[in-house]
Amino acid sequence: MRLSDVLSRIYVLALFLFVFLPILTSVVFSFNSDRFPTVPLGHFTTHWYETAFSRPEVWTAFGNSLIVAVCAAALSTVLGFVTAYTDYRYGFRFKSAYLALALLPPTIPLVIMGLAMLAWLGRLGLSGTLPGIVIAHTVMGAPFAMAICRMRLQQMDPSLEAAAWNLGASPWRAMSAVVIPFTVPALISAFCLTAAVSFDEFIVAWFVSGLNKTVPVMILEILQGNVDPQINAIGTVVFLTSMTLVILAQLLILRRSAA
Amino acid sequence: MTKQETLVTFQGVRKQYDDFVAVKTLDLEIGRGEFVAIMGPSGCGKTTTLRMLAGLESPTEGTITIGGKVMNDVPAHERDTPLVWQSLALFPFLNVQENVEFGLKMRGVPDFERQPRALMWLERMGLKGFEKRRIDQLSGGQRQRVALARSLVTEPEMLLLDEPLSALDAHLVIRMQGVLTKLQKELGITFVYVTHSQSEAFAMADRVVIMGQGEVAQIGAPRDIFRAPRNRFVAEFVGRNNIFTGLGREGRDIVVAADRISVTRDKPEGPAIKAEFLSEEFVGTAILCYFETPEGEELKAQVTEEQLEALGAEPGMAFWLGWAPEAAHEMEG
Repeated sequence: MRLSDVLSRIYVLALFLFVFLPILTSVVFSFNSDRFPTVPLGHFTTHWYETAFSRPEVWTAFGNSLIVAVCAAALSTVLGFVTAYTDYRYGFRFKSAYLALALLPPTIPLVIMGLAMLAWLGRLGLSGTLPGIVIAHTVMGAPFAMAICRMRLQQMDPSLEAAAWNLGASPWRAMSAVVIPFTVPALISAFCLTAAVSFDEFIVAWFVSGLNKTVPVMILEILQGNVDPQINAIGTVVFLTSMTLVILAQLLILRRSAA
Repeated sequence: MTKQETLVTFQGVRKQYDDFVAVKTLDLEIGRGEFVAIMGPSGCGKTTTLRMLAGLESPTEGTITIGGKVMNDVPAHERDTPLVWQSLALFPFLNVQENVEFGLKMRGVPDFERQPRALMWLERMGLKGFEKRRIDQLSGGQRQRVALARSLVTEPEMLLLDEPLSALDAHLVIRMQGVLTKLQKELGITFVYVTHSQSEAFAMADRVVIMGQGEVAQIGAPRDIFRAPRNRFVAEFVGRNNIFTGLGREGRDIVVAADRISVTRDKPEGPAIKAEFLSEEFVGTAILCYFETPEGEELKAQVTEEQLEALGAEPGMAFWLGWAPEAAHEMEG
């Protein structure tokens, strides 16, 4: 192996360490018996997991997060697909403005988004409710879902849908028999990714969640009280959940571009 | 037009997109059981014509009838005009058999009836044993045949083909031409074949429609179009012929096919033109020789290998290119 290869490998390794070391540390300390995160480590324990998950509010928060993530992911995926399909299928005036608007939400600072959502959902009487958080997370997730669906649709032969009509499929039938089956990998990966976004999201959720806390909001509340290794335990579970979702999404994206 | 019954008529059909006119005016009749090729350079309106027949575009003006019924506003999925796409447009998420069954499924044919019909067509197309294969596991020629089976499984009266052979290797093209003509004869249905390739059109079609700039330039049997092109556009598009400006009656242009030109050292009797030998090109069994007149016009003559040898032609040598008066065709305008 040449020196440049060795160096570039070391560089990549260092990069991954830099990114993952903080998370890894929290995983390690979640199994450590000492109350404070110091080296040398104490002995291995699952005590922090046991105490954390014996608290009913932790379960409620995970339940809330799960409901919100699933609903927001489903809504985002549907919205994202519909927007991407409009872009794929139709040419119209102001299309670039339409696309820019659809992709805008991620560029809005989260604090602004959170405040705006709070004001808006307050008017609708939805602030502090789960549907309120779902709406906020859908707004944030839909652009990601759209980008993923759009990538997939760009790989679709433009004659494919017309071929379905030509063989006797009505436009709706062609949608369900050709366009959606073709887009399925993207739909699943969009669902996983937006679910992960929602599951992790803190700032906007903090503004709009009120008493129905999601996991990240609850973590902050525990932290404000005191530093507690239970946080590491909860954090590890959250990390594993969203990593699984993201990896699943990535696998689907990779597999479909290989096909 | 032959005595066959008419299946399709285009009457004063025009297709316009905003400022762009794809088809200017089209009047055309296609008979039942006829193999018609629509040929022309890209942008001549041939594909638009085919798409209008399939209902993927609707004419701006004029009427299209199929089997006597006005089709202008009948949507694509309510027509029985399957199309073989240039890209083939096979469904990548379905296997071979599911692709072939698609049209039947959309038409509500029950499962137990779909399967034998699809299998029959796959066998007929020489794809037995490939039923469960994925599309990306097939060769170009096999995909072609899946596309044909998928279109023919509904037993339509007419099959539309949009440059279906353009993605194939040269030797496969010749083989598929054979497959297509045989199929068309056996089924006795109408084939409307769009292509920019003169050899494909001339090899297969009963009648060739040559289009240029959204209009029909000439309709006729391949032989008639080759021997008697109506105007300069057709003559140039068909190629392998010589256009002599103003040599006809009343100063009309005449055209003489390359294989009707005799090349001699001495001035022959009858019409002839002196030209300089430029180069030669092997075209299968014959040799196409290129000449240039003193006025700089390019001429072509098709000779045999023996003839070329006997002439001892070297670039720059002058020859007489003569033709029998009856071999010359006078063009309009």
